[in-house]
Amino acid sequence: MKIEVGFRIPSWEMPSVERSRMRTMAAILRDPNPVHWDPNLVDSLPFEVGKKTINQGPLGLSYMVNMLHDWAGPGCVKRIFMTFPHIVLSEDRVIAKGQVTQIDGTDIECDIWLERDEKKLLVGNATVSGERVV
Amino acid sequence: METPTKETLKEIIGHQFPGGEYIIAHWENFLLTECTGSELLPNGLAHPVALFHVPILGAGTSIGEMFELGHANSPFSIGIESYEWEIHQPLLEEVTYKISGKIEGAERKTEAGRVFDRIQFRFDLALEGSPVASSTIIWHYNRGRSDED
Repeated sequence: MKIEVGFRIPSWEMPSVERSRMRTMAAILRDPNPVHWDPNLVDSLPFEVGKKTINQGPLGLSYMVNMLHDWAGPGCVKRIFMTFPHIVLSEDRVIAKGQVTQIDGTDIECDIWLERDEKKLLVGNATVSGERVV
Repeated sequence: METPTKETLKEIIGHQFPGGEYIIAHWENFLLTECTGSELLPNGLAHPVALFHVPILGAGTSIGEMFELGHANSPFSIGIESYEWEIHQPLLEEVTYKISGKIEGAERKTEAGRVFDRIQFRFDLALEGSPVASSTIIWHYNRGRSDED
């Protein structure tokens, strides 16, 4: 398969963002923020999302890393930049997507993002070693 | 926690964390990778998502201390502007990384009637003297609405 500018990276889906994974993540990260594990507290805040928990930013980012790994191989990510315009919630079905924007030798630049119902929740870009795909 | 003045806020620029070492244990990488929904990576590779917490903890600080340094009003008042990870060598389990970290920037901003302190942290990982990765974290410490509205 020839990779060209505009190529759509095969998407990666997280069928349901699990609360239990947020709790494990909070423990590993030593993250004291209860929005990741206390749905009653989230319900009391002005997010208006009900009794949900809010996914950690790095976890949302990791879904795009998984997409890049599945496409270009583990260890392919050389740089990743991510912004977080919207929150990802427990039970969300989210899909990581990406598109090639530039190719420089074996380095591939791509726009990457995370969608829920076609709304972009996380938006960024990455540089990937394309030795396995170029 | 009391909102710092603009001058107090600037005093944290250049703050160096103690620095230190960190080993990504196999069990830790296993659990972390499972959280992402991925299979464990081959050949002892650690999932790059480790580049969030490993630099923070390895530099001798914590998410809680980073909240305190910026005088966060509460954990809920923190917003993420961006994360950027540069990876020069893939991360590995069970090796000892040397880690340093500092605060690179701190400024008060007003956008769309919202007042916040924009604080930029930078962490570097090295293995046997060679750079492995860097992590730049930019958080917004929200301070409420602007009086100018």
